[in-house]
Amino acid sequence: MTRSPVLGRFRHGYVAPAAILVAVLLYAPFVWTAYLSLTRYDGLEPPAWVGLDNFVKLLGDPALLTSVRNTLIWVAGTMVLPVGLGLLVAVLSYDLKGGVWYRVPFMLPYALSGAGLAMVWSPVLSHDGIANLLLGVDTAFLQEAPQNTLAMLLVWTWQQLGVNTLLFVVGLQSIPKEPIEAARLDGASGWRLFRHVIWPLMRPLTAVVVGLALVASLKTFDIVWVLTQGGPGRNSETLAVTMYKETFVASKYGYGSAVAVLLTVVTGLASYLYLRRQVR
Amino acid sequence: MIRRAVLIVLGLVWLGPTYLLLVNAARPAESYDPSRAWAPAGDFALLDNVARAVEGADLGGSLASTALYAVVSPLLGVLIGALAGYTIVVLRLRHGFWWFLLIFGGTVFPSQMLLVPLFVSYSDAGLYDTRLGLILVYTAINVPLGAFVLRNFYQGVAFSIFEAARMDGASTWRIFWRIYLPMSASALTAVFILEFTFIWNDLVFGLTLSQTADVRPVMTAIAGLMTDVYAGTPVPVGLAAGLVVSLPTVVLFLATQRLFARGLSLGSVQ
Repeated sequence: MTRSPVLGRFRHGYVAPAAILVAVLLYAPFVWTAYLSLTRYDGLEPPAWVGLDNFVKLLGDPALLTSVRNTLIWVAGTMVLPVGLGLLVAVLSYDLKGGVWYRVPFMLPYALSGAGLAMVWSPVLSHDGIANLLLGVDTAFLQEAPQNTLAMLLVWTWQQLGVNTLLFVVGLQSIPKEPIEAARLDGASGWRLFRHVIWPLMRPLTAVVVGLALVASLKTFDIVWVLTQGGPGRNSETLAVTMYKETFVASKYGYGSAVAVLLTVVTGLASYLYLRRQVR
Repeated sequence: MIRRAVLIVLGLVWLGPTYLLLVNAARPAESYDPSRAWAPAGDFALLDNVARAVEGADLGGSLASTALYAVVSPLLGVLIGALAGYTIVVLRLRHGFWWFLLIFGGTVFPSQMLLVPLFVSYSDAGLYDTRLGLILVYTAINVPLGAFVLRNFYQGVAFSIFEAARMDGASTWRIFWRIYLPMSASALTAVFILEFTFIWNDLVFGLTLSQTADVRPVMTAIAGLMTDVYAGTPVPVGLAAGLVVSLPTVVLFLATQRLFARGLSLGSVQ
């Protein structure tokens, strides 16, 4: 059946545009970056092979340690706040009468996009900003680490909670009613009902939401770049920001590529371990 | 009852910043005072602020370019992806699954793995800081998702449709163009919206591959506004800028909400 004339002869021509675009603009740069991570390169002189030097240097780089710490805060914080709190709001509201209205406040911020989000929070968090005046304090929200990362995490939560809630609500509303009714008849309610009946039923969806959030949080860039550029100094950098700064600010293309490779390995490993746990 | 109370308290906490944003974006630029940020706006100056943001920050050219990227690249990407999906599923391309893996595999790299080579080779090829360069990379990034969703979609279509059209003497191209594409309109729309949103919100490719105000995508332009000028830009103007750049994705999403939901379910169920 694979080679019937009825299927036409120009088939490779049809798949070629997709394959070529992906190969040239995605795969080739990927391989090239992997190679560059093993070189010293400033974009002007040709790359000079240095083996694993960049990676050895990474291990002893205090800025990288900060960056890894911040990235971990982003990952853990994303699980607790936008995802965890999103689950809470979903569970509290999914079977309420008029539940959709309770969720509107959380959906509104989702309309703001990337840099626009950071833009609107800047006057709130700045030194003489609204938050300080409102709370009657004098906190350097965006200056000292790690509270600047935490402050940005709260901004992120403000925006992301709604969409996570929405996904969980869809999941909750689509789980079968019968097991829940049966458990209710058996006298289960509240936390026990959730823990032992609802939670296992919504696991496939939770797996997707958590997986997406995990990968996205490992690659956090936009909000940090716009609000602090990873600073002051380098104390709010994430791995993605470190990669960008090493490469395009410090012109250390080889070293920056090594950070990119590290980020890729970490993301790949985390996804793999996570998927393996889910599939088991 | 406790549930409602918790939801209301949390909701109020969430509404606070939303209110601050709206009221201060509508405030006449010169009357902004952070200690009175909660006060109602008084005169409604939102449109003036938007106009000032677009003019003052030179967002006009950037907005137009971003609209171009966010429309052309997803269109090309989803068409090219759909054609690949059609070829793999309907035309039963040999080793089709491997072709599919090759194309879909393009989505797994973090964009950080692409930046240096793209920057260096774009500079060499004269594509740096050009609209064509950005359209190319955005298109390539969009192809895998298009191929993925449309491959799934076409798998659910009866092969007899193809055979019948073939009997009638239609070419494989014509069958794709006149039968399969129109049939998958809702799936195409769903992918288009996701990709439009992705490109509209892109920061890092714009940051890396463009420079001049007219070529730079709008999120990159906004980020530049933050770091260079925001200190000198009145806060209401900055807030209005944040709102105005967010508007297109919201409008598109609301306008196509139903098609979008339908397209997604068609794409994933089969």
